[in-house]
Amino acid sequence: MVRKPYAILVACLTWFMAPCALAQIVIVSGAQSPLPELTRTQVEQFYLGRAHSLPDGVAVTLADLPASPLRDRFYQNLTGKNPGQIRAHWSRMVFTGRALPPQEAADIAQLRQWLNSIPNMIGYMPSAEADSRVRVLLRLP
Amino acid sequence: MTARLRLRQPLRSAVAALALTFASASACAADDAAQPPRVEFSGFATLGAVSTDNKDVWFARWGVNFPGDSDPDFSADSLIGLQASLRLTAYNAITLQALAMEDGSERQDPRITLAFFRQTLAPGLSMRIGRLRVPFFMLSDSLYINYANPWVRPPVEVYGLNPFNDLDGIDFIYHTRIGELDAEIHPYYGRGEIPFPEGKARLDETWGLNVALTQGNLSLHLGRGDGRFTFERGDAQFRAIAAVLRAAGQGSVVTDLSGAKGKTSFYSIGVQWDDGLWQTIGEYARRDANRYVPSAYGWYLSLGRRFGSVTPYVSVARQTLHKQFAEATLPPGRLATAWETFLTSRNNAQRSVTLGTRWDVSRQAALKAELTHARPDRDSWGSYFPRETPTTMRIGGRALNTLSISVDVNF
Repeated sequence: MVRKPYAILVACLTWFMAPCALAQIVIVSGAQSPLPELTRTQVEQFYLGRAHSLPDGVAVTLADLPASPLRDRFYQNLTGKNPGQIRAHWSRMVFTGRALPPQEAADIAQLRQWLNSIPNMIGYMPSAEADSRVRVLLRLP
Repeated sequence: MTARLRLRQPLRSAVAALALTFASASACAADDAAQPPRVEFSGFATLGAVSTDNKDVWFARWGVNFPGDSDPDFSADSLIGLQASLRLTAYNAITLQALAMEDGSERQDPRITLAFFRQTLAPGLSMRIGRLRVPFFMLSDSLYINYANPWVRPPVEVYGLNPFNDLDGIDFIYHTRIGELDAEIHPYYGRGEIPFPEGKARLDETWGLNVALTQGNLSLHLGRGDGRFTFERGDAQFRAIAAVLRAAGQGSVVTDLSGAKGKTSFYSIGVQWDDGLWQTIGEYARRDANRYVPSAYGWYLSLGRRFGSVTPYVSVARQTLHKQFAEATLPPGRLATAWETFLTSRNNAQRSVTLGTRWDVSRQAALKAELTHARPDRDSWGSYFPRETPTTMRIGGRALNTLSISVDVNF
């Protein structure tokens, strides 16, 4: 009789934690990429179009994913900006000629292909998708 | 015929530039590996309608559009911009942008608003050469990117102080991070020109510096620009007033109304707070000119709050005349009245309160509606233009309500 409430508790915990586990997003490069691990601030600067290169001068190319809850969560988590703020921010960056937007892959499979063919490209994906073909440069909480 | 040719030239160059970019785009369209060289297209557009309750005046954005002759007037805010960016390598790119909207001389031909080469010189430092947008005030270089702004248009009380669009020259943008603070340092140098009916305004040898500091949700803008100022007037009202002044032995005053010997300075300080829920934007800007246009200053303060995809906002704005640009002593009567009318028509001082709402209809589109209650100063036309004979019409001191509705899209 003791086991049943315990099982329910485990089920509840799993149910509560599952979205968190799914939600973890990682910043990745291709497995062979020479890029170093990145700090959260560096990645935030890249994805807000404020920085284009590492301190040693190596230019970083950004990849994005199509509009989706995953993408919204990535920007919210990384920059603290909601989808509307991000769209307004990037339209200002692009149409004033300050920055070129991240290049949008059709899906995670295409993103992996890009990462493997472009050494200095970074992208993001759920940690569950980050297999041996990519290298994790940063984990977002 | 000459006028017609001149009219068509910007259109031709815009089409040619876009066609060229298209050609190079299709050349590498087969390569889908995101590797440079790579061309990307994007665009923005606004369809906007404006109507004022008093039917004897038009709403006008000075130097931006020509007062329309339809009601509602679609010329004040409607525009379409197309942009092509060619990434050459990871360190440099070429950007072209063509914008079609009405200009101060009532033409709607597309014009090239961006055409520059950008080179990354060092980490955080890039240089751009070619045609850039003038960056005098906080939102100047995104003045027509209406989607990026909460309102139908940035407040005319501040942005009417400098209607220049283009800066043909060079700028440097330097980004650095000092602790938690992001700093953008943006010096520029160049020249720009805007057409008016039978005249034009030009800024030469213009230099300036903008600094933007951002920490979390808060950002601060500081700007200063200086230039040589040419204003060539050729319109009927100017010719009449010049004749009046010469007849009254005040011919020397004419050199303060039109010519190539002006100097002008722009100053601005702005602040923005956006925590995702509340959006507050405020700015003070000032234009000093030694002749041709009045010296004036303006400010606005705007507060908006997001309720999901709907953002209602309220803003207050004021433009104040600091100093008129010419003085003449004329005998009381018709001539003195004509002179007063001339000065009044060049003064845009007014105060206004705006209530509006932005609705983000989709990821690409926003619908906006706002009602502005404006009161031009007694000796001013504010942001309005008389439909009838200027000499018999009074705009100053009246309360005018202007309704603006627009749809902004991003693609």
